[in-house]
Amino acid sequence: MSDSMNKKLKAVFRGIKTATGKDGRLSVSTPPENARDVLRSLKDEGYTHLALISCVDWIDKQKFELIYILSSYFENEHIILRTSIPRENAKFTSIIDTFENAEPYEREIHELFGIDFEGHPRQIPLFLERNYEIPPFRKDFDTRAYVKQLFDEIPFVEEDR
Amino acid sequence: MDRNVLTKWLKQPQKMGNKYSLWAIYFCTGCGIIEVPPVITSRWDAERFGVIPVATPRQANLFLITGYVSLKTLKAIIRTYELMPEPKYTVGFGSCPINGGMYWDSYNTIKHLDKYIPIDGWIAGCMPRPEAIFIAVTHLWTLIDKDMANGYKKYREKYPYYRTNQERALGKLAWPPQFEKGEENE
Repeated sequence: MSDSMNKKLKAVFRGIKTATGKDGRLSVSTPPENARDVLRSLKDEGYTHLALISCVDWIDKQKFELIYILSSYFENEHIILRTSIPRENAKFTSIIDTFENAEPYEREIHELFGIDFEGHPRQIPLFLERNYEIPPFRKDFDTRAYVKQLFDEIPFVEEDR
Repeated sequence: MDRNVLTKWLKQPQKMGNKYSLWAIYFCTGCGIIEVPPVITSRWDAERFGVIPVATPRQANLFLITGYVSLKTLKAIIRTYELMPEPKYTVGFGSCPINGGMYWDSYNTIKHLDKYIPIDGWIAGCMPRPEAIFIAVTHLWTLIDKDMANGYKKYREKYPYYRTNQERALGKLAWPPQFEKGEENE
């Protein structure tokens, strides 16, 4: 199944690279401007379940890699779709109109990586309660320095008697 | 029952009552709580030591903090601790409440739990075995006998310090101070 899917995608979209893993799982990497259309056509092909949206910070390449994992109930298969966006002023279009359950995932990525999803109805914090200068899951967020200035500064109760 | 124990009972019946009915609040923090179901069920049977889990903080007098404490959990822990009636004893279970453990540089996990609430004893390890809970309980008995498990008194005395630390970690707290703030200062 993944072979025919592979051919179909390559015929329709430009700039797509595909690779098949050992278990026959198809992984597709696409330029960001195509990603929404690829996702929509995959949905039409039966990959109706968005299992996860994940994000990786490649600080050396100055890129964020967004990873969409789709699965199909008909084929019983997964497809992994990757797309890279530039790291500065990171923004991407929301896919809520295609997959409604993307809403919490995009909110989470927005607060932890600082990627702005255009068209997202409410990008308010999901988990975090504090304000961070740099979103905490970015690689240039120095956790050790943050811990030093927040937690290590708090004195033990015996000491200040 | 041998005679020494009997005199102990007669001298301080209240203390003996506290000692042998440590009711633990069933508060699940982090991964350590996975050790508690075997402890309270038939294999290790904590009721031999008078430890049973209870549902609400008002019934409990033993607080086991099992595992890493994130900032949001700390809020719940402080509220639960303040709701428990005195005398109350706290035990930090696992290495994460002691000094952060493997979360020593995490941005959202507190490192030293005893900066925020008083702790009477620690169980080191990641994870400690269920037997370690019983060792801790028997240690706690000796501490109660010698009047050394006085974390709740310390909390009363030094409440301003604890409250300041809590506010530094959590920002503005949504509940009023439990004791008068700054009254017994020095």
